[in-house]
Amino acid sequence: MKRSHTKSQFVAVASIAAELSAVMDVAKEISLAAANAKAIAFRAGEKAKGFQPITDFINELAKDTIQLVNAINEHALSLYQLTVDEYRMTEANERFEFAAHLAKGAKYESSLYPVHQQVQQRMQICLSQFNVHIAQLLDQLAEVMHPARAARVIAANSRIEASQAGEYLQSLQAVAESVDNAAQVIHDNVQRCRSALSFINFVD
Amino acid sequence: MTTCSAAEAHYHLLILLTNKGVVSLMKMTKIYEGTHEWIMYGRDEHKPQNIIDTNQYIVRTPNRCLILEPGGIELFAPMLAAVLHHAPVEEITDLFASHQDPDIISSLGLWDQALPKAKLHAPAIWEGFLRHFGCETIEYVPIPDNGGTIRLETVELQIIPAHYLHSSANFHIYDPKAKILMSGDVGAALEQPGAPVFVDNFEAHVEKMRYFHQRWMPSNQAKRNWIERVRELDIDILAPQHGRMFKGEDVRRFLDWFEGLQVGIAV
Ligand SMILES: [Fe+2]
Ligand SMILES: [Fe+2]
Repeated sequence: MKRSHTKSQFVAVASIAAELSAVMDVAKEISLAAANAKAIAFRAGEKAKGFQPITDFINELAKDTIQLVNAINEHALSLYQLTVDEYRMTEANERFEFAAHLAKGAKYESSLYPVHQQVQQRMQICLSQFNVHIAQLLDQLAEVMHPARAARVIAANSRIEASQAGEYLQSLQAVAESVDNAAQVIHDNVQRCRSALSFINFVD
Repeated sequence: MTTCSAAEAHYHLLILLTNKGVVSLMKMTKIYEGTHEWIMYGRDEHKPQNIIDTNQYIVRTPNRCLILEPGGIELFAPMLAAVLHHAPVEEITDLFASHQDPDIISSLGLWDQALPKAKLHAPAIWEGFLRHFGCETIEYVPIPDNGGTIRLETVELQIIPAHYLHSSANFHIYDPKAKILMSGDVGAALEQPGAPVFVDNFEAHVEKMRYFHQRWMPSNQAKRNWIERVRELDIDILAPQHGRMFKGEDVRRFLDWFEGLQVGIAV
């Protein structure tokens, strides 16, 4: 692996953290929209009867998303640590390789072999751990896509229900709109995370 | 390399082909040979430009090896390769850092990978800072303000306080048997690549040291305290971390010159 590759990992891992914090904000927005919708539906009474379970559902989705993003954030943090370790080990390995090269012909040249080998092994361990974590993170990101997709379906349902809510039509439609938008944003952000990750997901 | 007597140290070039096809030169000079050896490594021509040239030293006993001022991260590979001419990796048991500067010890994280059982002797109050370079397997042996000793088999080296010269916690290494004082940044000069390793014309050498000492050394009081302490020692070679070493009469000349120099000129 080239060092420039490791440098791009830092950027990728950092950009994932940024995307995730945006996802978190949006999930909180959905949660707020759900609370709003609940209040409106309550006031609308019979007219928005079909809307009430939907608001609960939206709220659940927001909660799920927040929980998942929290878990992913933790994971991203350990991924960052791994990136640091891996960067260090790769760098160390390069230096040892250079030392081994320079030491050719030195009286105690061979004493470097086991040390160099250990450094190589440590680097390999770092690399494989890194790959395992990336794979896990990709799975988690795929999971976040589920509530986002579900939210879009619900938003469509909400629009239908809203159309029967008489004078509450507009405000409920606005709720449906904001859930739909939010779900779209989450979807896009997570998609960007995944492509950033797949960019650094390498096989050594 | 051939063996030299302490009095007339010869220097030799280790010529190596790097992976870029560049010739790398690390000069190795035996400056003492007796029950143990002192070797000076310097003038690394592989080092990238804009990096200050440094001298590294080792003290070699039959089964152990101490590296004094191991150097910056860029120097790690050439330094390790050079030491392998005198000691196998597993016998490099000790490192010494006079203070916290990157040109002294930013290679620590790499030595930490190479020498899991080694000890780093360094100022106690710099520990929390030096660990930023990476020190997970190497044991940090904190040197208290009043100094101490480092024992290598039968050799006992004295750790001489040199605080504020230039770092707040700073030590030098004195070997009473070899009569060598490794003086860190004290006695440092900025030299052209390829300069000889010993001062041969003190008067001419002064100009290469003056600004460095005036600007880097902060305290006249600390300077006087150190000179007093060092005048008590019997020194054949004063061995700084940059530039040439001082031998014989030049050691006394240096102390006299330094005594008369006003330092801390930036304020
Ligand atoms: Fe320094
Ligand atoms: Fe220095």
